[in-house]
Amino acid sequence: MNTSMIRYILGYVLKIQSLLMILPFLVSLIYREPQGACYLAVSLIGMLLGMLMTWRKASDPVFYLKEGCIATSLSWILMSLYGCLPFWLTKEIPSFTDALFETISGFTTTGASILNNVEGLSHCALFWRSFTHWIGGMGVLVFLLAVIPLSGGSNINLMRAESPGPSVGKLVPKIRHTARILYMIYFGLTVLQLVLLLLGKMPLFDAITTTFGTAGTGGFGIKNDSLMSYSPYIQWVVTIFMILFGVNFNVYYLLLFKKFKNAFSMEEVRYYLLIIGAAIGIIFFNILGTAANAFDALTHSSFQVASIITTTGFSTVDFNLWPESCRFVLVLLMFIGACAGSTGGGIKVSRIVIMIKNIGKELNSYIHPKSVKTINFENKPLDSEILNSINIYFITFTVVFTVSLFLLSIEGHDLITNFTAVTATINNIGPGLELVGPTCNFNGFSNFSKYILMFDMLAGRLEMFPLLILFHPSVWKDALSQKFSRE
Amino acid sequence: MFQIKNGKYLRKGERKGLKIIIVGCGKVGTTLVEQLRQEGHDITIIDKSPERIQALTSLYDIMGIVGNGASYSVQKEAGIEDTDLIISVTDSDELNLLCCTVAKRVGDCAAIARVRTPDYSTEVGYLRDKLGLAMIINPELEAANEVARILHLPTALEVTRFAHGQAQMIKFKIPPDNILDGMTIAHMGKNIVQNVLICAVERDGEVYIPSGDFQMQKGDVISYVSSRQASKLFLETIGFKTNRVKNTMIIGGGKAAYYLAKQLLHMGISVKIIEINKKRCEELSELLPKAIIINGDGTNEKLLKEEGIEYTESFVPLTGIDEENILLTLHARQISKTKVVTKINRITFNEVISSLDLGSVVYPRYITSESILTYVRAKKNSMNSNIETLYHMFDHRAEAIEFRVKEESPVTNIPLMDLPLKRNLLLSCINRNGRIIIPSGQDCIKPGDTVMIVTTHTGFHDILDILR
Repeated sequence: MNTSMIRYILGYVLKIQSLLMILPFLVSLIYREPQGACYLAVSLIGMLLGMLMTWRKASDPVFYLKEGCIATSLSWILMSLYGCLPFWLTKEIPSFTDALFETISGFTTTGASILNNVEGLSHCALFWRSFTHWIGGMGVLVFLLAVIPLSGGSNINLMRAESPGPSVGKLVPKIRHTARILYMIYFGLTVLQLVLLLLGKMPLFDAITTTFGTAGTGGFGIKNDSLMSYSPYIQWVVTIFMILFGVNFNVYYLLLFKKFKNAFSMEEVRYYLLIIGAAIGIIFFNILGTAANAFDALTHSSFQVASIITTTGFSTVDFNLWPESCRFVLVLLMFIGACAGSTGGGIKVSRIVIMIKNIGKELNSYIHPKSVKTINFENKPLDSEILNSINIYFITFTVVFTVSLFLLSIEGHDLITNFTAVTATINNIGPGLELVGPTCNFNGFSNFSKYILMFDMLAGRLEMFPLLILFHPSVWKDALSQKFSRE
Repeated sequence: MFQIKNGKYLRKGERKGLKIIIVGCGKVGTTLVEQLRQEGHDITIIDKSPERIQALTSLYDIMGIVGNGASYSVQKEAGIEDTDLIISVTDSDELNLLCCTVAKRVGDCAAIARVRTPDYSTEVGYLRDKLGLAMIINPELEAANEVARILHLPTALEVTRFAHGQAQMIKFKIPPDNILDGMTIAHMGKNIVQNVLICAVERDGEVYIPSGDFQMQKGDVISYVSSRQASKLFLETIGFKTNRVKNTMIIGGGKAAYYLAKQLLHMGISVKIIEINKKRCEELSELLPKAIIINGDGTNEKLLKEEGIEYTESFVPLTGIDEENILLTLHARQISKTKVVTKINRITFNEVISSLDLGSVVYPRYITSESILTYVRAKKNSMNSNIETLYHMFDHRAEAIEFRVKEESPVTNIPLMDLPLKRNLLLSCINRNGRIIIPSGQDCIKPGDTVMIVTTHTGFHDILDILR
């Protein structure tokens, strides 16, 4: 195993992180908050450490899928450990576990919080909390690929491990250009949303943090009641942008290069919009009776649907109090998630569509036992290998889900709380139902349960396998045996 | 910081690569991907096999598309509209030609096709002109040419032609007790021959571009450049035989064997081909009436002995299996002093191969990729010079490049001793209207010359690259 290359990549991740941590320090200068010094200190230490780690170049720059997965999951763990330091050191979140939970929740764009009173935090902490969403949304390693020239073509393995979706393709032949295009689209949409929010007379700080939360499909708000108190205009802007950030970014690339026909014929996006439409319809008619007026009902239903399916997790209303059928639809949407190649989490629309098509094929084979039928997706026949990997992904997802649910149930909360807590974290959404509903938070769990949920968040964001591979004994043996042989 | 150009994002100052589509990812396709990627081009590959695409895209930073490369929609998906060059190297000649023809209609790009069946080999010029192709490559034919050149001068390990054959670069190994053993290059230039330039030396796996005080030793592998007439004289002076071989034995009767036999017979060398397939033997005997065709297994030791492997002057294993070729070479070198040329198609264990002491080795896939690289670099460069030939020496550790100098530029009309040349670079020969000049410090480059340099730098595509 190429440990020196993994070290090198981790060092670079640390360097980028520490540079990004300068931003909350600048925020603290504006609001004259003493906590800022801590951010600066942590940033400097991180920079120093990162420099040390990248001091010596890797002897052999080639790495394979295994190294790519390990480097990716280790970077995410390192990022989280490093990113939680300011929260903990400034005593704004006194417990280390809680600080780590908050940071992982930020980077994985989950948005599940352990804070009872968000409004009590300093501005720089609020900014850093929301900024982690933006960083985690597109992924740090994709950013790394865009800015530093990693030699060797095997970089695609890093991108594969970090980007969500069943198959990761490139937009243009060079991965560097692909990563740059993705970040330019991401940046462009972010700025657009910011401008639209400012036009709605939202205060600048609120607008920036809300935009970060939307862009990464994260969901940390800076108010205790999330987005309830803002005007319908702002809620609608956020709704639309949540949906936009949940779309496969290939669409924007195709639009950018005027391939409109290809862009609008993307099957996954069409199903995604269809599901959103259907879900909004069901919820709208269910809450029409209890809502103040039809427009209000439409605003709330579409905001909640968009927020849940894109796995953002903002809320404008306590949907925990909605009728049972609406609550079910929302939980179902939690599992479906956004499109592959977006910033959202969940199982992904493409996987769901392919699995349903596969069921259809199986049924067909009962009627015509000798029939031969290939499954098409995006106008292309699907490889049996991709089908297989999707099935295995789903099984793994279920196993991780079940085990987490069992471990959580030891603590004795009710089933809906536990079930939706795991659902909300493994799909990177944020709020669940009952005790973890939109107006409550995850503070009620024990430290043990919090660690389980942290694992779920990381596993969900990295799509299981990159993280699970760390637990494979041969990886440990490899790393250890190399260490000894070098000494 | 960024700019958009032809659907690509570039940081300012970043050297722009060409957009290249390669159809077919066999031996040659893979070698091309490897080498073109090193020169920084944007590469998209098309192949019918998803496994091959998967394997290559996870190894190199390129984009892969599964499908039939001749299909319009697949080409469109690969972005044929803004592609600069399409190279088609699938197994089928017809598919390659179709692929390039379709591409020329859809996009405004240059096209290179591999055509290797002997049926078309005489019509290559016609096909190229009528279909508007930039180049038609035939690795088998080019490999056969190289083998023929070596058999023409059997003391050499490699013979490469520059300046339309006026100049030659010849590689040989200094045997023990040769007069060159222990001699410096300056001494050799003064006392033995003037019009020969030693441009690269390989010793213990290292490649040197030697200066005048470099002392040669036995066992060194030396590459020198000279005019065609002078090169033979030089070898004779230092005590080598320069007679060409009189007969040759070829194992395997594939396309390369056919091309080689045809040339050798033309040169008056008698040819014996051993081929296992009866039907192919009959075809060959029809095509090559003067050759002796033996139907039998060329890897059978008894048969080889019966056919006189011990007495043949040269031996060329050209079977489709590299391991067999290597084994046959080792066998031949063990039992006789015959001149052996080995063709290696596929395998890449370069270090193992060079440690085996096989003598002359010919790599068809490198010959092909060299001619394509020449074209690609020439396409990329500016107006005042042009790459004519590119040749990789010593496992790609050194490059020999021939530039045509078109007009006045900072390198022309200045004595070479005053030019600020890069280190590890040698101006080894100038061709002025067909006259070969081995340059000294007083000579200067003039517009209209072709200039050959040898260097351990890579990626030169303009004559100005030689300057510091």
